[in-house]
Amino acid sequence: MSLTDTADASTGLAFGDEPSTVQENSSMDVSTSDIPETAVGQPLVSDPKMTMRNVDVFYGEKQAIFKVNLDIARNEVIAMIGPSGCGKSTFLRCLNRMNDTIVDCRVGGQIELDENSIFDAKLDVVSLRARVGMVFQKPNPFPKSIYENVAYGPKIHGLASGRTELDEIVETSLQKAGLWDEVKDRLQEPGTGLSGGQQQRLCIARAIAVSPEVILMDEPCSALDPIATAKIEELIAELSENFTIAIVTHSMQQAARVSDRTAYFHLGYLVEVNDTETVFTNPSHRLTEAYITGRFG
Amino acid sequence: MDNMNLDQHISQRFNQDLEEIRSDLLEMGGIVENQVVDAIAALMDADSEKASKVLKTEDKVDIKEKSIDEECTQILARRQPAASDLRLVLAVSKTILDLERIGDEAAKIARYAIELSEEGESPRGYIEIRHIGNCVHKMLHDALDAFARFDVEQAIKVVKQDKSVDQDYATAIREMITYMFEDPHSITRMMNIIWALRALERIGDHGRNIAEQVIYLVKGKDVRHISYKEVKEKARS
Amino acid sequence: MSEVKSTIEKVNAGLGKRYRSEKMFQWFGIISICFGLLCVLALFFDIIGKGHSAFKHHSIEIPIMFDADKLGITDINDTKQIYSANYDGVIKASLRELFPNVSGRTEKRKLYKLVSNGSYLTLQKMLLEDPSLLNQTTEVQLITDDDIDTYLKHFVGKESEFERIHAEQVEWLATLREEGRLISHFNTVFFQAGDSREPEQAGIFAALMGSFYTLIVTLCLSFPIAVAAAVYLEEFAPKNKWTDLIEVNINNLAAVPSIIFGLLGLAIFISFFGVPRSTPLVGGFVLTLMTLPTIIISSRAAIKSVPPSIREAALGIGASRMQMVTHHVLPLSLPGMLTGTIIGMAQALGETAPLLMIGMIAFIVDIPGSVTDPATVLPVQIFLWSDSPERAFTEKTSAAIMVLLAFLIAMNAFAIYMRKRLEKRW
Repeated sequence: MSLTDTADASTGLAFGDEPSTVQENSSMDVSTSDIPETAVGQPLVSDPKMTMRNVDVFYGEKQAIFKVNLDIARNEVIAMIGPSGCGKSTFLRCLNRMNDTIVDCRVGGQIELDENSIFDAKLDVVSLRARVGMVFQKPNPFPKSIYENVAYGPKIHGLASGRTELDEIVETSLQKAGLWDEVKDRLQEPGTGLSGGQQQRLCIARAIAVSPEVILMDEPCSALDPIATAKIEELIAELSENFTIAIVTHSMQQAARVSDRTAYFHLGYLVEVNDTETVFTNPSHRLTEAYITGRFG
Repeated sequence: MDNMNLDQHISQRFNQDLEEIRSDLLEMGGIVENQVVDAIAALMDADSEKASKVLKTEDKVDIKEKSIDEECTQILARRQPAASDLRLVLAVSKTILDLERIGDEAAKIARYAIELSEEGESPRGYIEIRHIGNCVHKMLHDALDAFARFDVEQAIKVVKQDKSVDQDYATAIREMITYMFEDPHSITRMMNIIWALRALERIGDHGRNIAEQVIYLVKGKDVRHISYKEVKEKARS
Repeated sequence: MSEVKSTIEKVNAGLGKRYRSEKMFQWFGIISICFGLLCVLALFFDIIGKGHSAFKHHSIEIPIMFDADKLGITDINDTKQIYSANYDGVIKASLRELFPNVSGRTEKRKLYKLVSNGSYLTLQKMLLEDPSLLNQTTEVQLITDDDIDTYLKHFVGKESEFERIHAEQVEWLATLREEGRLISHFNTVFFQAGDSREPEQAGIFAALMGSFYTLIVTLCLSFPIAVAAAVYLEEFAPKNKWTDLIEVNINNLAAVPSIIFGLLGLAIFISFFGVPRSTPLVGGFVLTLMTLPTIIISSRAAIKSVPPSIREAALGIGASRMQMVTHHVLPLSLPGMLTGTIIGMAQALGETAPLLMIGMIAFIVDIPGSVTDPATVLPVQIFLWSDSPERAFTEKTSAAIMVLLAFLIAMNAFAIYMRKRLEKRW
């Protein structure tokens, strides 16, 4: 597949029509001129939960994210897909400033949560992370009891005034995470003793225990088996009623299953944002089409 | 049917999606079935009003077909269904084609009904139409019923019925030709009746197609283009 | 015509060689381990063989008449008189009574030499505790002189090999043994007394206490400082040239010969800050300097081994850096830190050279009561005794080494136990 081919993206059938243009081109040998200045589709929405304007991310001298403009709507599930190294995880970690912990990482541009800049000196990074929770690639429960894992967030933020209130938060969080029935009899056992899928749901319970507004998920199912993955996906569908969720996934099928909108990243650029249905049936940009049909990546 | 279990996916939304295309299909089937019944009645009773109602319903069927098609595409793109789920989606997407065609045939019959009603009554040929019409209606009803209950035995019965409809059709055509010999003035009329018979026969074929889809859906076996005997053996093995 | 060999044939051809080299390597390892074990065993046998006898000592049971006239005590309530009384005379009189046949100055001196010349301390103590003993006769066990004890332990029947015993003494001891007056018992003096010029009166308790105080000072200083340094360097410090430099220097510091630290302590703590010399306080300061790099390095390794995912998890739900460290990183790395600390402490316990520089080699008879009392430590005590000419000190040296080794093993066992226990909690 020649990716420098400038055929109209809407005529997706043009791909592979001429065998002569087909090359073994699995690498990212794509000229940046092929990538649109601004993302095609609908990157912006009205009344967004989070807005990102001209976001650049640098690792030392190397630029990882280029001028990304994107809105995240309230109570939507937005999936970010793209070939590995496209910067989707990096971008996600900007949203609750987890990149701050990485030496040499600089973030430029503007990111707002409910119209307040997250880089504002008035907004403490600790409270930002309480509002924008995160679930990581590898299930990473604390080596403490299941109860302690969920109770930790509320404890450090002082969300519970007493033991009973804390118990309540733990129970509702575990219920929301669909884990309560499985662990209610062994809350004092270590969280690390659970299975991988249960651990990940425990991490989700831990994240929602501080009642965040946005939950970021960085490839939450990449370490799980298909059944555990299905359970997490179902959980995401349920959570989207109460939370805004941004999920990075290397499985485009997963993006198709769980998300309302899908954003496609390529080489640090945001190429296309559209309704998931549209992206997976009739993507607007040829790079998106090429990626989701498995022609490179 | 035990092996379908449409409501047992971990993802509730997937359950809903599958249930939706199934119930939408049955709803479309119901509309088409009514169309067929109305079209036959319009022909019998020379009721042009009923006939035009059938013609109007066609739009509804077309819209339904498009929306179910869209739903199937969504499921294929977003859920990547496998095994019985995949067969369900494929069967539904093929069945709506047949249903739409049946709707078209019903519309044809309705149009002949209007033409015939303008020419006045003639009892000749109507007995055959009534008989074959009843058979075909029953087939369609049974086929949809088999789909609703994922019932292979009923589907096999439908295939068998199609065989007898074909025989009845051949007999009726011969009879119509005899009439035409007897009374050349009635040839135009008879041609309309023959076309109506032909449409009914086509409906029967589509009914059989639906039944075959049910067998494919439940058993995963392709029973197209083979004789009734072979169908029976294959579906029950 | 060359045979074309299939892949599997080529592989099979090389298999024998592969297995042989594997076997050889295994054997090499086993031999190395055996050699190491043998060395340790030899060391243990040697030390235990030499030292075990130090835990026993011989005493002679003698009826003692606490004669007020001979003792020169006029008023029993006057402790000054009790302290300065002439106990030696009483003991000598009692010995003469036991062996009335002995005559002549040299003979008598040999007779008196049977018991330790520190025996008067025993009588003094008895009288202080119970003044009613005055003018009474009681059976008293007096510990034998070191030469007599050495003879009794090692040279009975081989008198010719040991020139420090006289034929008369051998006879007397035989008589005493027949009368049941010669008693062998557990050597409590060794564990209760401080150092002494007389081997039979010398003990390791003062050195033990010195070591104890020194280690307490070292632990209290080095653990918090090292953990704080390690946490700062790992979790908070920016990664730049300065921290690199510090890191390199910490590693270098771990390799500096310990005597240098002694010199440093002498120059800085004693000369500049005026910390009293020969005390556990200054010893603790010097050993702190010495163990710091060890503990910092092992603590940093322990902190590094905490998976980054735990840090991310804590930060991800809004913990501050400090909360992340205190709630998660420290508890998880504590077993490693403790192990490092105890190993550092064990190192400090066995350290001699820097302490020589700061005067902890003093001859300490009194048991130190605080960190500012002059003291010595176990390894220095061993060093001192190994230098002493008396034969009895040889076995005491070995016994002290055994005690030191026992403490080291106990500390290491404690380290392992703590680590197992703390790890189990997670």
